[in-house]
Amino acid sequence: MKRFLTVPISRSLAVPVARSIALSVSPSIVLAIALLALALPASAHIGSPDVFVDDHAGPYRLFVTVRVPQVIPGIAEIEIRSESNDLEQIRIAPMQLTGPGSQFPPVADVAQRSKTDSQFFTGSLWLMEFGSLQVRIDADGARGPGELSVPVPATAQRMLPMSPFLEILLAGLALLLVSALISIVAAAVREGNLAPGLAATPVTARRGRVSAVVASFVIVGILLIGGNWWKSEASRYASHIYAPPQMQVTLDDASNQHGARLFLREGPATIASGNPRRDTERSDLDNLIPDHNHLMHFFMIRTPAMDSFWHLHPEPAGLVAGNAAGNGFVVNLPAVPAGHYELYADVVLRSGFPVTMVGQIDLPNLPGEPPTGSLTGSLRGPLAGPLKGPLTGDDSGVVAHPLDAAAANTATSALPDGGQMIWERDSPALKAPLKMNVPLMFHFRVMDREGKPATDLEPYMGMAAHAEIVRSDGSVFAHVHPSGSAAMAAMEMARAAAPGNPQIGTPGEPSVNAISPMGMPAMAGMAMPATGTTNEHVDPEISFPYGFPKPGLYRIFVQVKRAGKIETGVFDATVE
Amino acid sequence: MATLATTPPSRAIDQSALPKIAPVINSVPWFIWTLFAAVVSVVIGGYWDISWHMSIGRDSFWTPAHIAIQLCGVLAGLSCGYLILHCTFGSDPAVQPYTVHVWRFRGPLGAFLAAWGGAMMLASAPFDNWWHNAYGLDVKIFSPPHVVLDGGVLAIQAGAVLLIASTMNRATPRVRATLNAFLLLLGGMITMLALTIVWESTYRVLMHTPQCYRAVAFVVPVVLAGFATISDYRWARSIIAGIYSLYAMVMLWIFPLFPATPKLGPVYQKITHMVPMEFPLLIIVPAFLLDALWPKMAGWKRWTQAAAGGTLFLWAFLAAQWPFSTFLVSRASANWFFGTKYFAYFASPNGFDVQRMFFPLHMTTTGFAMVMVEAFVFAILSTRLGLAWGGWIRGIRR
Repeated sequence: MKRFLTVPISRSLAVPVARSIALSVSPSIVLAIALLALALPASAHIGSPDVFVDDHAGPYRLFVTVRVPQVIPGIAEIEIRSESNDLEQIRIAPMQLTGPGSQFPPVADVAQRSKTDSQFFTGSLWLMEFGSLQVRIDADGARGPGELSVPVPATAQRMLPMSPFLEILLAGLALLLVSALISIVAAAVREGNLAPGLAATPVTARRGRVSAVVASFVIVGILLIGGNWWKSEASRYASHIYAPPQMQVTLDDASNQHGARLFLREGPATIASGNPRRDTERSDLDNLIPDHNHLMHFFMIRTPAMDSFWHLHPEPAGLVAGNAAGNGFVVNLPAVPAGHYELYADVVLRSGFPVTMVGQIDLPNLPGEPPTGSLTGSLRGPLAGPLKGPLTGDDSGVVAHPLDAAAANTATSALPDGGQMIWERDSPALKAPLKMNVPLMFHFRVMDREGKPATDLEPYMGMAAHAEIVRSDGSVFAHVHPSGSAAMAAMEMARAAAPGNPQIGTPGEPSVNAISPMGMPAMAGMAMPATGTTNEHVDPEISFPYGFPKPGLYRIFVQVKRAGKIETGVFDATVE
Repeated sequence: MATLATTPPSRAIDQSALPKIAPVINSVPWFIWTLFAAVVSVVIGGYWDISWHMSIGRDSFWTPAHIAIQLCGVLAGLSCGYLILHCTFGSDPAVQPYTVHVWRFRGPLGAFLAAWGGAMMLASAPFDNWWHNAYGLDVKIFSPPHVVLDGGVLAIQAGAVLLIASTMNRATPRVRATLNAFLLLLGGMITMLALTIVWESTYRVLMHTPQCYRAVAFVVPVVLAGFATISDYRWARSIIAGIYSLYAMVMLWIFPLFPATPKLGPVYQKITHMVPMEFPLLIIVPAFLLDALWPKMAGWKRWTQAAAGGTLFLWAFLAAQWPFSTFLVSRASANWFFGTKYFAYFASPNGFDVQRMFFPLHMTTTGFAMVMVEAFVFAILSTRLGLAWGGWIRGIRR
């Protein structure tokens, strides 16, 4: 029996997530596009709840996989692979990522070392709360102790239906118990007060029968009340199940000084956070922190071909000139090809919880010259040719060949400057057909036009590279970095909250400045050294830890920055 | 040949109806010992389990607390199952005339009810397990699968009461006195369990909400009135409330002596020892008043007794608990005696209990009054139900 104290003691009352945001639009031709609701199971990212991190615990490089439970509270499975074989012990513990609950770790579990692979460790941890948690990993070995914190967004993803066998078993038990209880009640009335040794009279027997009927009604009534209570509990739980927030998107393609713009605002969203024992706390989508310099990373992917991909960075509408009264986000569009686009917008809540909002839009031909070009040689990759439109700063995009199952598992992608990006699939796990739910380390090499390893790579938004992994039906979307699939802002918060870091002494305050898209300026200086980077130099060998959540055809966009220009490699993969 | 036991004159049993074959009960039967042990086991196990989840968090099926809880079902199921088989297929004159028929089996009524309770506890296991898989680990005391389990425990307790009551009617005065003591102890244990089930509504920060008093009015008068009606003692309510209070206080003082650290996270409070439940509710006050005034109501009709008794119970409880809760919420009670210095590992630093504030009333004055009226209605109905089942059991013979 699991018994817990449930006390509504939290002062934090439910915060309505779906804020009413009035959209202000300029007097121009406005196309309002209604968005279809997508019921996609997901947490951070879309359809890809597990967390993959490649990072260091002190001197030890670890590849950590956290398989997030589908119900909360539930058990997370932790898999850790060490690069070296000098680790003696790994201990794991769950904590809040920041604020209260991040200061006192519970007694840590010792991860079990595999009997067949001395560098592989596994463990299980109860995640007792919704929201922004971390798994604290303490490694100890020949080179001393080390620590690594892995942010884990804990969300309920589903409800388990009852199996027919269990339904029959429970119904049978219920029937047996109910009929037995009715018989006991009848016996009590019929014979309970009879003097010893006497048999029931017709009168008492009749009373027994009447009481059985009455008891039947009472029991049925109790069962009905219980059934309604069960439904109510199930409904309450269903309200905790995470669904990606829907964006409401409006296209302003006015021919004014801004060019075409998209206005984005959050639709109704439910993101439970906190302890299920207390009143549900709702995460506030209006309280965001920057993730490698930007409050929002916005991705547009033309479907079904996935041949037009854009990684843009909308700004809070209130900060955009001429929209002082605006809210939500706004982004200037490059002259992207017309078509139906799936939209994904990555933001990070103040708690470090990453959210990917989703939407769809049908874009017409936009003002400006569309990208042109053709496939070069036998290499399947982006179309050559300059991209037109207001691609500025960290914005990037690519128009590539259509997604093609027949050409999946290609290992080379041409880059616009004549160079190549090569997917190194030498390891057995990558050489064989790709398997779902297997943690993989994806290696890419960037070559210049002479076929030599490129020497002109620079950090792109503080990272050696960015990769976006999308399933052909849009049901999986993941934005990963060389350090893993966790949001970098959350990784930074986890690092800041580590023991010995002076910032831990501020309970309730995240370690980076919070910001509201309603008007506060974005915090600068979030760029952080990334795996594979040293100041401004980035190694041409890039790796990403990730595991495909389900079988299917995927497209992988790998983005790097070379000599000030952002280039995108495009790869397709079939997963079994 | 055995002779009939002499029952005290206060009993309302028609002695002439008892046949000569009924033997005297001159010692407490073994099945009453086992059922009493089952009830004590579940009460201690329940407290231990809740404390475990507030202090350590993680558990398995084999924690001592779980074993104590399951032992209740096992003891009840095995002992009453054996008793039923013994009565069905045997010919023991000590029990045979005191049996009822259920399906093709014979046995004392209480044995059937307690065995049913054991089966109910067993049936709750797959339901509880599925619930955890479907909705996550239920972190509540009051959840559907737990209520199925509690229903089983309640049936075992009711079975124990029935067995004790029917045995009292044919016991020697000495054994009858012992059984009376068992009955009152059982009443204390049942009060503890009932108040544990509604603890989520009676936590100290909620003691200035009408819901707290409605919950107490629902579960306590039915127990006190029932046991007082069955018992031979005038001060039965006070003794039962005293047993509950003493038990809760002793547990409150003993549990923090044992070291414990959380094995689940996130951890919000640094825990070094077992965290106990709360200081007992002051139901001793209305219990004492009711015992003192009940003789004046002795000749009244049952519904009049219920109206007066229920109203008196709630007024007295309100008068005692409302001001006392102000003390409990204050820092003055943050000591080992009153125990408000202990917090579960998951207690948020921003929580009302940690902040030592009452939960704010999110209701209008009319809403408050309506719930309080409900509380009085519940107190009256609960008292009436207690008088009814107590009166019925007082006449039970099998």
